[in-house]
Amino acid sequence: MSLLQIEELEKSFKIGRNEEKILKSVDLELEEGRITALVGTSGSGKSTLLTIAAGLQQSSGGIIKFSDKDLTNMSSSQMRDVRAKEFGFVFQHAHLVPFLSVKDQLNLMIDTAELKWSKKEKQQRIQDILETVDMWKHRDSDPDQLSGGEKQRVAIARAIIHEPKLLFADEPTASLDSKRSVEVMELIRSLSIERNITVLMVTHDEDMLVYADRTVEMKDGKIEK
Amino acid sequence: MKMAWKEMMKYKTRYLILGSIIFLISFLTLIISGLANGLSFDNASLVKNMPEGTYYMESKAEEQYNFSEISDSQRETIENSHGDAVFMSIQMGELEDEDGQKHGITYVTATDNEFFPDVEKGELILDESIQEDGIEAGDELSTNLMDDSFTVRDFAKQEKFSHSAVAFIHPDDFMNMYQSEKYQLAFTEDEEEDIDEMSAFNQNQFLNTIPSYSAEMLSLNMIIAFLFVISGMLFAIFFYMINVQKLGTYGILKAVGVKTITLLRLMWVQMILITLISLVIAISLSQLITLVLPEEMPYQLALETSAIMAAGFFIIGFIGATLSGVQISKVEPMEAINQGGA
Repeated sequence: MSLLQIEELEKSFKIGRNEEKILKSVDLELEEGRITALVGTSGSGKSTLLTIAAGLQQSSGGIIKFSDKDLTNMSSSQMRDVRAKEFGFVFQHAHLVPFLSVKDQLNLMIDTAELKWSKKEKQQRIQDILETVDMWKHRDSDPDQLSGGEKQRVAIARAIIHEPKLLFADEPTASLDSKRSVEVMELIRSLSIERNITVLMVTHDEDMLVYADRTVEMKDGKIEK
Repeated sequence: MKMAWKEMMKYKTRYLILGSIIFLISFLTLIISGLANGLSFDNASLVKNMPEGTYYMESKAEEQYNFSEISDSQRETIENSHGDAVFMSIQMGELEDEDGQKHGITYVTATDNEFFPDVEKGELILDESIQEDGIEAGDELSTNLMDDSFTVRDFAKQEKFSHSAVAFIHPDDFMNMYQSEKYQLAFTEDEEEDIDEMSAFNQNQFLNTIPSYSAEMLSLNMIIAFLFVISGMLFAIFFYMINVQKLGTYGILKAVGVKTITLLRLMWVQMILITLISLVIAISLSQLITLVLPEEMPYQLALETSAIMAAGFFIIGFIGATLSGVQISKVEPMEAINQGGA
């Protein structure tokens, strides 16, 4: 069953007097519970496609449907609501809130998703997810006390604590060494299977494609294969 | 609230610096306000101790009470409309003690009333501040305006006019000294009324007819207003700088769905906490400072005035912080994602 449908998606930017098309009538469907990797050369439009699909920027044309809801017609506040409750995000850098402990990073996401969990349930879920990403022992640490790999594991925990249906991962291993990259990808893979989370991932690292169920290659703003 | 506090605890130094500056500015503002109130009381406690009401003087005196002379017909008109009207005169003058030392004072006389002490002919009741010059009850004081001397009967608490001690004297003595049977002013607790050839003033307007009063108050109030503006700008600049540093974090938080109002609330809570802590210390110290200030220094700061000023600081802090918070509403998640971060 498809969770996200992208039809004839277009994106163009004005550069001076010229208009440059970054995405040219892109069609894509994401199957529920599967990991789709977007690959392509720099400037092929893969990150733009991911960020438009995630509602982080507007398209110039086309339709994006998520669970039969048309995201392209939503107001910015409705889109924020979808991002907070249904989507999860992992970026190239962890982008953790520098003054919050690991536990509080997750608490913030639970509050943002407006989940009505009891305090006990909240704590239990935080413990579960931090144990899954092997960060429970660092629960009270601040981001500046963690290594790059540890930060990224916390970012993954933050991205899925609120049980999103769809996880967007933009180059999640780009800032990590190969050992940490494998750990992070294995984690994303296992969480996707365990929690039935659909993943759309952008990567330029071919070694990471073994963790994807499907690879979509982009070239010059179009899906090549 | 928890998030705001955690950030303040994480970056103690920068919030401590802002808090210290806000404390110093609010403390300075309170001290100047205390001095302004003190000076204003020192300048005109005679008028300030009187209830709210209306003062009348002759229109042709052009707001200079010592040029005013209320005629018999005007007095009758006022008395007919305001049965409780008090007629009074004020004149600057001097008294000489038994050692030949001269003391600048303000003579005040009035018809029977409940606001000023009753004085018999040949007697004086002086503001207590003159005791510092060694004058005691029973002393004989003379003036070159009258052959007879005065006997000091008693002292009154805080009765000053134009920064000099008030001397309450009997109307007959006043008429004798200044060769006039007319009073300069009329006072009634009733509301203002149009009376032919008379100008009416409320208490504040009347205070401004006292030479130097409005100039003094205006300068001090200008300083207070500037300090308020400076503190508002400080908040705006400080939070602007803090926000610029945090734009990346704000962008990511917006990307994951955090509402702009949540981020603004974070800033407001910090502003309120800093202002609250700074003001509690500043208000406490501004009250305690009376213990060390020299007695001659006119300083009066009621808690009510402090509370009003504290409210002013909160409003100005809120405006300053919110102006800088416009950046938060403008930040685009994409900009933050494209930058590095923690």
